[in-house]
Amino acid sequence: MNVENALPEDPKKVSVRLGAEGICKRYGSVEANRDVSIAVAPGEIHAIVGENGAGKSTLMRILQGIEQPDSGRIVVDDRPVELTGPQRAFALGIGMVHQEFMLAPDLTLLENLVLGDEPVTRTLGPASPIDWRAALESGERLARETAAHVDWSRTARNTPVHIQQFVEIIRLLRRGTRILILDEPTAVLAPQQVDDLFELLKSLRDNGTTILFISHKLREVMALADRVTVIRRGEVQYCSLVADTDAGTIAGHMVGGQGALPVAAATPETRHGVSGDVVMEVRGLTTPVVEKSHPLHGVDFNVRAGEIVGLAGVSGNGQNELVECLVGLRAVDGGTVSFAGQDITHLSNRQRRTLGMGYVSADRRHEGLALEASVEANVIAGSQRKPPVRKGSFFDRGAMRRVAEERLAFIGVRYGGLGDAAGDLSGGNQQRLVFAREIASKPGLLIVSQPTRGVDLVGIAAIHGILSEFRASGGSVLLVSEELDEILSLSDRILVMADGAIVGETSAADADIGRIGRLMVMQGAGDG
Amino acid sequence: MAEEASIRRPLFEGWLDRGVGLAFPFLVALVVAAFVLLLIGENPIDVFALMFAESFGTQRRIAATLSAATPLLFTGVATAICFRSGVFNVGVEGAFVVGGLCAAFIGFTLPAALGPTLIPLAFGFAAIVSAIWLYVPGFLLARYEVDEVVSTLMLNFVAFGITGYLVNGPLLSEISGNNVTPLVHEAAQLPRLLPPSTLHAGFLVGILVVVLYGIWARRTPSGFEAALVGQSKRFSSAVGISIPATIILVMVLSGVISGLGGGSHALGQLHRFADGFSPGYGFTGMAVALLGRNNAVGIFLGAVLFGALASAGTTVQLFSDIPLDIVNIIEGTVMIFAVVELGRISLSRWRARR
Repeated sequence: MNVENALPEDPKKVSVRLGAEGICKRYGSVEANRDVSIAVAPGEIHAIVGENGAGKSTLMRILQGIEQPDSGRIVVDDRPVELTGPQRAFALGIGMVHQEFMLAPDLTLLENLVLGDEPVTRTLGPASPIDWRAALESGERLARETAAHVDWSRTARNTPVHIQQFVEIIRLLRRGTRILILDEPTAVLAPQQVDDLFELLKSLRDNGTTILFISHKLREVMALADRVTVIRRGEVQYCSLVADTDAGTIAGHMVGGQGALPVAAATPETRHGVSGDVVMEVRGLTTPVVEKSHPLHGVDFNVRAGEIVGLAGVSGNGQNELVECLVGLRAVDGGTVSFAGQDITHLSNRQRRTLGMGYVSADRRHEGLALEASVEANVIAGSQRKPPVRKGSFFDRGAMRRVAEERLAFIGVRYGGLGDAAGDLSGGNQQRLVFAREIASKPGLLIVSQPTRGVDLVGIAAIHGILSEFRASGGSVLLVSEELDEILSLSDRILVMADGAIVGETSAADADIGRIGRLMVMQGAGDG
Repeated sequence: MAEEASIRRPLFEGWLDRGVGLAFPFLVALVVAAFVLLLIGENPIDVFALMFAESFGTQRRIAATLSAATPLLFTGVATAICFRSGVFNVGVEGAFVVGGLCAAFIGFTLPAALGPTLIPLAFGFAAIVSAIWLYVPGFLLARYEVDEVVSTLMLNFVAFGITGYLVNGPLLSEISGNNVTPLVHEAAQLPRLLPPSTLHAGFLVGILVVVLYGIWARRTPSGFEAALVGQSKRFSSAVGISIPATIILVMVLSGVISGLGGGSHALGQLHRFADGFSPGYGFTGMAVALLGRNNAVGIFLGAVLFGALASAGTTVQLFSDIPLDIVNIIEGTVMIFAVVELGRISLSRWRARR
């Protein structure tokens, strides 16, 4: 019994350093985590991968004690623990490096290192003099152990990001962190810095630190992790030693094509065998390197009348940037986009809309809708200057209400009153509201990004129905989605995007999930 | 947003919200003032009754209240027009002062023979110059994302400096020599509505501005677009609304209205421009806009409330032992609680920018 109560002295005797067993967590109607179990062995680098919204962040918040699970339990060193709050998790040795670093920008790196746990020369309560010499020594010792060069007298603001990240990490180690959680640590780093970070993490692992890192970049998982867990729609899909698997298999589990093979759902009869004229032509589109975005490197493709073109890809490979360029919300620095026979490369969003382009944004809450504005304002927006809504210089209130009601009824949006805030509707109805507005102007081309994200099953079926009908009526659709199932079941043609370029194209009839999955990750692993 | 539509749900909530929004700061202010009055041994009920009588008791007192409310109608609308689009313009004060000087300048330099045409000329010149005045920070915000709070606040000091120099130098009246310009020609003076009170025709212009603002905000595409931009910039640009054009439009409109306000104050109230032309009408206008939740009716009520406090303040201490400070306490408390709303705006702005 002594063995059970005492903290295990030898890490080797512990089989699970950090674990989760049967974690469930709901937010309203959304099941963010459903029966999630993971087990991280001591001295292991364990990667958790999954698309945006798969439930990774929720799991991390639970492991950090920020959120409490609805059911299930957390295990540290083989023993169940209750993480009542972040302090409790920290006391158990769990430390997290966030995407946004938690350094005070105007303090030096040394001050940041000891902040909150300063070594003192004498204990005098709040008046204790700080022992800067000891602080510097401990900083340099940690830097030496991890083979890094740090100028401790610099302010955090004037330090390159990878050094900031490094200080963030050793700050946690200095305060007793044995289990390091990193949330997409490479998102802010340049390729060379990524290599440095990986060297650091490997050396930490070799010194006994357990590392859990979150990513959706498969190349990094393959290069760094010992074991990988794939989470999709709140559930663990797959877990394997990295040595026993390959990127294509992991990608398949991330996007969910593998196993179920729902390709049959797309019946050839619903497809147009031969499509019409080219509606939109994109040639050599490139964008400048802007912080927190993925640049495009010469994107080429076209969309024909009466077809749905699906754009597949692991998230963060430039899909959002491409969509923003196409609808006129992002500047391009090379290449052309032509639409309806015109060069629209430098036209504004409004001008593109006038030519017959509709846009369903991936970010429904901030770009697709104004959540605090009324349902009526949301469904009318964009048509406020067109008759019959506008009559002379003023609104025709009756016509405006009539138009709004017609649009909402056309695709069956369920709402209480026109004056309700759009944010009061359910996710599925919000998305239908967006479609109601975008389809109303009868655009020739609809650019649709992640149309079913956060939408329940009924809503998904309805939205897929809307898209199919839109195609049947002669419209073209560019469908960007992280859900491979969705792309496979709706598209006539499928493009695969990786690393800011189109890396492959296939007709729906010849679609092969294995090949698409390989294309999705090929470019990411290209140089290796 | 949508007027008829809002009848379904937000009307009750909206009215309650607006009513409370207007009444709550005022009620808190009365409680605080009552507490102070009790401390100094006065009966709050008597004092409040006296103040009410001094604001609304007789036709003359009502006229004084409305006269004091007149500049606030303009500055309240000029502020609200920007706030509801999410543009945090605090430069109405400066534009108001500049407009006042411009109107007065026309009023005493052009030949008196022009007669009543001097009035539209003076108003027009004031409106144009003030519009250009606020166009500058509007352009800087729209084009270069220069923070409008800083730029408009600083422009206020520029306005005080320029007008202060002119009124003490080139435009100084030779006969009075006391930091004032010459009087405008009689033909350029706005008629008084209820002599001997100073209530002048500028009040009617102010009411017209409030009404036009209400119509613009609710009944026109451009008012609708401005409100959407205030709700969500990303959404607005994704549905084809130009954010820079909207920002510049509301800043220019705000300048026009500020200029008309300054012109009305110069031509109707003072009949000249003077150093210290505005005792903070622009800033009180912010409290008016916040109290009135950028709503036309709310702005009217807010302006009358502050007008009443101002007119009561000047006479209450003549007829009682009550110090003028009690009125200042009430005004200050109302402003603080109106600013709670302001805090909410800037908080949501801060979140949106992150």
